[in-house]
Amino acid sequence: MSERSVSKQKQQKRWYTVLAPEQFGREELGSTPATEVEQLYDRQIETTLGELRSDASENNTKLTFKINDVGSDTAYTEFVKHELTRDYMRSLVRRGSSKIEAFITVLTTDDYRVQIQPVALTTKSADESQEKAIRRTMIDMVKETATDHTFEDLIDSVVEGRLSSAIYNEAKTIYPLRRVEIQKATLEARPEEVAAEEETSVDVEE
Amino acid sequence: MADEDDSKWAIAHVHASFNNTIITITDLTGAETLAKSSGGTVVKQNRDEASPYAAMQMAETVAEDAQAQGVEGVHVRVRGPGGNLQTNPGPGAQATIRALARAGLEIGRIEDVTPIPHDGTRSPKSSG
Repeated sequence: MSERSVSKQKQQKRWYTVLAPEQFGREELGSTPATEVEQLYDRQIETTLGELRSDASENNTKLTFKINDVGSDTAYTEFVKHELTRDYMRSLVRRGSSKIEAFITVLTTDDYRVQIQPVALTTKSADESQEKAIRRTMIDMVKETATDHTFEDLIDSVVEGRLSSAIYNEAKTIYPLRRVEIQKATLEARPEEVAAEEETSVDVEE
Repeated sequence: MADEDDSKWAIAHVHASFNNTIITITDLTGAETLAKSSGGTVVKQNRDEASPYAAMQMAETVAEDAQAQGVEGVHVRVRGPGGNLQTNPGPGAQATIRALARAGLEIGRIEDVTPIPHDGTRSPKSSG
């Protein structure tokens, strides 16, 4: 359409195709330009679950991937973050009902440290004690799943919604719930980093 | 994803405040800028920098520049000033998206990324 020339500097850049991790079917996420291969590392790319699965009904989940390996003209990624979109989260919150949040940092069986943030939304405003009980079950269930799941399985159950529906079934006996979602799941540390921390940490207890 | 062999997607970051509009088109990772423009490049008077007209002009040039680099569609990230200032995007936001679409770029997701404090410092008296 236009005759405007692309600057020389930009022409030197090569476009690398970014692929999703194996867990998400090595789907193509997009492309990114770079002059040097080193520049590619640690770049983060964000997509929705709907785009990966080509299913528009799942566009409420954002997934973030980080480039950790580069081939000849493709870059490979690892999962770093799962998040609900802001507008979807806002649409769940209603007047006269409670929103119960929890923040849990867990260690998976293969030594990945992950932070998981579940939210539960009730049908009517719940009492403090009920909120506390629901929060307790959420925390317990997340910790329990983490102890017998690997990082990949854990992320899978978060993304597929198995963890949230398990929490829903458990906690709905305490107070009627409208919805349980995993609001956010972030990768905090990889096994090497966890090991390095343990080495450098000093025992405080005598 | 929807991209065939040579169709690249990009992200259009639109910062629309009440005093200016800044458009930056980057690649999907947000690490490399492909094209950018702001109010001062198209109008003379400072007060016009945030106007929808200026936004249209900017969006056209930016879209042209991006298309020359092989970008076919963009995801849009709109933001207002945010923080403890007003959270609504300014007048240039809507005009930008319209103009980008008119220029022949495909519009993917539109997302609001206004920074919202989880409670920070006290807001100025005049904030909306």
